[in-house]
Amino acid sequence: MAQDSIEGINPTRMELLNLKNREKLAVKGHSLLKEKRDALIMEFFDILDRVKGSREKTEEKLKEAYKALTYAQFIMGDLAVQKASFAVKESVDVKIESRSIMGVIVPVVDSQIESKTIATRGYGFSNTLSRLDEAAKKFEESIALIIELGEIEKTIYLLAAEIESTKRRVNALEHIMIPKIQNTVKSIEMRLQEMERETFVQLKMIKSSIEADS
Amino acid sequence: MSSSVAVIGDGDTVIGFKLAGIKEEYVVNNNEEAEHALNELIKDNLSIIIITEKIADNIREYINKRIGSSVLPMIIEIPDKSGSSEREVDPMSELIKRVIGVEMIK
Repeated sequence: MAQDSIEGINPTRMELLNLKNREKLAVKGHSLLKEKRDALIMEFFDILDRVKGSREKTEEKLKEAYKALTYAQFIMGDLAVQKASFAVKESVDVKIESRSIMGVIVPVVDSQIESKTIATRGYGFSNTLSRLDEAAKKFEESIALIIELGEIEKTIYLLAAEIESTKRRVNALEHIMIPKIQNTVKSIEMRLQEMERETFVQLKMIKSSIEADS
Repeated sequence: MSSSVAVIGDGDTVIGFKLAGIKEEYVVNNNEEAEHALNELIKDNLSIIIITEKIADNIREYINKRIGSSVLPMIIEIPDKSGSSEREVDPMSELIKRVIGVEMIK
């Protein structure tokens, strides 16, 4: 593959100049993309530090929350829990901003989860037990963790996709485009030199035949 | 941009999140319902969707088709009451391995 050259190009000086310019551009683009790739990977490592353990922490919290919920359901009955859940006021509000990492738009979530007290949750005291309060509190805590986790995971996915495509471009330039152009330049140069020699020989022959005539 | 959070899951999961104050909730029992719910939520421009792992696994293709690599909505998979599903490969560490080329954390 390394011997490939661009087909359908006439061996002229004009084309040679064009190709040389293209080669310069390709090399420049290659080094820029390489820098971009390296910077992206650095960012990626930074985010990886944040994701470490974040999922475990969330799952741990959720497990506790489910356990508390099951307790509440066990003591109060499914229906009573369900009834109470209908009474809870909507309180989860998130603000989504975006920021750009090397041109990749990633979400930044600012979650505002009011931590509620027993009195502000919305369900009545008479038919509920403290187990329910505990379950609700655990779930509130896990929502905050879940949203944070979601933000990090989404960022990782987006960055990963960008890194992959940048990598592919770097490799395509490095291993295919640039060698191809270089080969073509070389072959055109050789053709031009060959043509020069040919004309030189022709001139010599014409000159000697003229001298022989006179 | 302000937005709210939605939950797609089985009955108990949904009740739990309702207790915590999430009002956009869909209880789903099969794949069609799940796809329908997801569709509705995307149409409503919900930006954060919490979904249980089991349901997400069942409609994985649909999710990938709908979300692809767009920024929003974020879909977050969480384990349900019976604990996290044991997957053969963790998609996250698989992805990291593919991108970096070496095995990293987790």
